[in-house]
Amino acid sequence: MRWVGCAAAIVAGLLLASCRFIPTADVPALANAGAPNGAGAFEPDRMVASIWSAKVVPYFEKKAGPLIEVRDIAAKSPDEAGARFGYRAKSEDTPWTLMVKFDGVIVAADTESRASTISVDASGQGKADAIVQIGPAMRGTAIRDALDFVSFNDFTNQIDFARFGKAFNTAVNRSTLEKLPRDALVGRKVTVLGAYPFVSAAETPLVTPVEISAGPKP
Amino acid sequence: MKLRYALAGALLASAAMMGGSAYAADLIAVITPSHDNPFFKAEAEGAEAKAKELGYDVISLVHDDDANKQSQLVDTAIARGAKAIVLDNAGADATVAAVKKAKAAGIPSFLIDREINAGGVALAQIVSNNYQGAQLGGQEFVKLMGEKGNYVELVGKESDTNAGIRSKGYHEVIDEYPNLKMVARQSANWSQPEAYTKMESILQANPDIKGVISGNDTMAMGAEAALKAAGRADVIVVGFDGSNDVRDSIKQGGIKATVLQPAYREAQLAVEQADAYIKTKTAPKTEKQLMDCVLINAANAGKLETFALKP
Repeated sequence: MRWVGCAAAIVAGLLLASCRFIPTADVPALANAGAPNGAGAFEPDRMVASIWSAKVVPYFEKKAGPLIEVRDIAAKSPDEAGARFGYRAKSEDTPWTLMVKFDGVIVAADTESRASTISVDASGQGKADAIVQIGPAMRGTAIRDALDFVSFNDFTNQIDFARFGKAFNTAVNRSTLEKLPRDALVGRKVTVLGAYPFVSAAETPLVTPVEISAGPKP
Repeated sequence: MKLRYALAGALLASAAMMGGSAYAADLIAVITPSHDNPFFKAEAEGAEAKAKELGYDVISLVHDDDANKQSQLVDTAIARGAKAIVLDNAGADATVAAVKKAKAAGIPSFLIDREINAGGVALAQIVSNNYQGAQLGGQEFVKLMGEKGNYVELVGKESDTNAGIRSKGYHEVIDEYPNLKMVARQSANWSQPEAYTKMESILQANPDIKGVISGNDTMAMGAEAALKAAGRADVIVVGFDGSNDVRDSIKQGGIKATVLQPAYREAQLAVEQADAYIKTKTAPKTEKQLMDCVLINAANAGKLETFALKP
């Protein structure tokens, strides 16, 4: 653990030279400092920035499985898929958030809505295996919910916890989505690392990306 | 002789302690807001049913969202020797002292529905994922509105964290659509009659509204009634809670959608955790526990009964 923390500190130092580094062990402490009546202001964007490259992205890289494999396992046994590729808070009835990585071809794009999405064929069968949120508006809190080192317990209330979740979506926009092309998306190749809440096998996974890149126009 | 009596007495006492439930069952106090709102009634009934099933006596009390009254009710629970308190509280800040008082008297509290702004005081805080639920409601509202038009927001009681979190969840979704314009935003304090009168006056000032998004179902019912009375059944109304009243309204084409909080189950879960603590001193693994909400619309309203979805 010490080694991980050390490496994380170095990576964070390199990538976030302009930000003050906050050791990940202090994340809960930071969250608690966000009490409405507390002395310290609650700054979710800063908290997320401090762990994004050092902890969040490597965590996803380590835990994510190939989309098709994860999806097929989840269809048979959500708990098995969850144990291998996911996380959920221990509360009853909380769905698993599954982490996936995949390459594919964009078969459809909705860029009319503020909550834009692309449909990606990752199995070469010409139909969508996943719908990927490409912002700027994004639904849900899949990134936050995938992290085993974040707990609602460490936050004053749901409002702070929600703001923390939203801050991850802001971070994705800044780090990766803003660089993504928005025109002539259909037919481009795309590489995605992200997470989706497993609702049912019948539903196409709605993936929130942590990293995404697209190839040139076909 | 004296010794023998003492011994017999001790034996009797230990027998009574071991088989205590057969003589006088342990008591669980259930304290909620007024049962006028079916949500709180369902909660209290869920807790009561589970407690009785597990062999407890129950006192069910209501604080009417009055923190002073809540404090007195906690005193009552202490005086009656309750072994645990299941509480839907009367204010995120004001309640901390009352729960501390119970803790000092050796009585653990298991909070449901509403949070308090302090950790480590209650043994459990089991709450609906209001933010996730509000996003579901907000998305459905946006869809129903066709992503454009004027709308009104009715907000709950300010002292309740849930009022703020739901409003925030709605706006996170709705504010992404620049053609949706909020023309009025008022608190109706979770109250149906208050929502009715507020809606009447909002409608007079803003006849050109297309939708109303409400922080709970009782306010949605009040708004819907006012709109109907004004001949404006065309206005889209979306609520939050998943009450049977709103279910029936959805089935009749009145209110368009709501968000179910698993209130009945939450109350039962609180009692199960209280039971585990009373019997084995096992506290829940995590104090703060979130339970996800479910969108209810015409497609699944038929399956809704007393704050639970039938399979």
